[in-house]
Amino acid sequence: MPRVAVVGAGMTEFGIHDVPLEELFAEAAFGALDDAGAEPADVEALYFGNAMSGQAENATHLGPKVAAHAGMAGIPVQRFEDACATSANAFKNAVAAVEAGVHDAVLVGGVERCTPETGRDTAAMTRVFASASHRQYEQPAGLTFPGVFALLTKRHMHEHGTTEEQLAHVAVKNHGNGALNPRAHFGKEVTIEEVLDGPVVADPFRLMDCCPFSDGASAVVVVGDDVADSYDAPVDVTGVGHATDVVPIADKKTPHVTQAARDAAEEAYEQAGVSADDIDFAEVHDCFTGAEVLASEALGLVADGEGGPAAAAGRTARDGDVPINPSGGLKAKGHPIGATGTAQVVELTEQLRGEAGARQLPDADRAVAHNLGGDAATTVVSVMEVRG
Amino acid sequence: MSEGLTHAAWSDALREGVLLGGACDDCGATVGTPKAACPHCGARGLEPVELPTAGTVYTETTVEVPPEGIDERGYQVAVVDLGVARVLGRLDGAAEIGDAVALAGHVEDEQGYVVPRFEPA
Repeated sequence: MPRVAVVGAGMTEFGIHDVPLEELFAEAAFGALDDAGAEPADVEALYFGNAMSGQAENATHLGPKVAAHAGMAGIPVQRFEDACATSANAFKNAVAAVEAGVHDAVLVGGVERCTPETGRDTAAMTRVFASASHRQYEQPAGLTFPGVFALLTKRHMHEHGTTEEQLAHVAVKNHGNGALNPRAHFGKEVTIEEVLDGPVVADPFRLMDCCPFSDGASAVVVVGDDVADSYDAPVDVTGVGHATDVVPIADKKTPHVTQAARDAAEEAYEQAGVSADDIDFAEVHDCFTGAEVLASEALGLVADGEGGPAAAAGRTARDGDVPINPSGGLKAKGHPIGATGTAQVVELTEQLRGEAGARQLPDADRAVAHNLGGDAATTVVSVMEVRG
Repeated sequence: MSEGLTHAAWSDALREGVLLGGACDDCGATVGTPKAACPHCGARGLEPVELPTAGTVYTETTVEVPPEGIDERGYQVAVVDLGVARVLGRLDGAAEIGDAVALAGHVEDEQGYVVPRFEPA
């Protein structure tokens, strides 16, 4: 039983965009509206994600700004901030509102500009990103976000024997997928050797284990199940789970298991009436190669400890038994923080419709999106399916 | 009305070489930072307790690309397992997961916030 349907999807290219946030978001919003055959006047509410433009470019109260720029002034706009899980949280709340009948049709999306070319330099953005770690108990140590995921990944390597070469396979796979995605920030293939020869950012992560700073926007149109068939290409949303975990990292029970992802996945699968075995492919939050390994296990797509070997064996490649990140993921498609969650929904929508072009997966009927925020303390997991 | 461990008390103790945590009478968990209630069971009134100052490295990384405001590179950040709880801090002197370390002071940021500094034991 669908909770709601996605009937329109749009996103900008992820990369470098030297334009105001409003213009960037409008491009994605109009892409989603055009795809749905809808107009701004049809949108009853905007669920909007932006994580850190207040810090990065002194731009806050963005909800009415982007709505006004895109012909939606007057409607209620709710703005979400949940670090990298920002727009998945917006999506979760939009799904709930439409399902409950509060609104018939809503636009959900996000925008962010993170590139040094259009804003602050790497050191400044590294500090902005680090604001998602605990101000008093983590930031004074100089912890960065590559550092956060390095801490989780090195414990996983210790527990399970995951290797740097296995991590490099994640980067190579996702760069290869990104090369097939015209909207990806990075459109070139890389080799295991190139990844392993890169400069260290925070061990075990080298430069190509890390996603880029990106600019971009994404948006989707969500409508009720009862009206979905009046649109050309609805895709069902059958489950959305959302969970949090303890902050700071040191107080989490077992940091590397990313418990919030496990709890969110259980909730999403239960709503959808499916198990991990029923999932045809996944878009997961690979902000770092190790994060994809942790996510693949937390979602139950591979057994605990098998995330690294599965990547190295090609099981998570586009022609593997459990394809992960056919879009190129955050690693290659890019990671404009507040736009990432709904960009995953865009990819699920296009794949499930069979409209993903060169990167189209065969037999894609049911998929899962995993969007993680902060030190894995927020995760939203969404299940979408071909409309039955 | 701040019963239990506060950030101020935790920081003052750390400056004196003492690590404080909070112990939950209900579920038995001990956490290494102040909390208004137990993060694992929700019970209020964690009892402030003195934590051991020696333990083993639970996980660690060396940060080569620091945030704005930190000039050095190649510093080590670790989560240290003190037995009853874990804490995050700086680690001076190379140590790997499982190695014995002990509290050796603290580091302080530009706003005066402090975190523990460990060295190999």
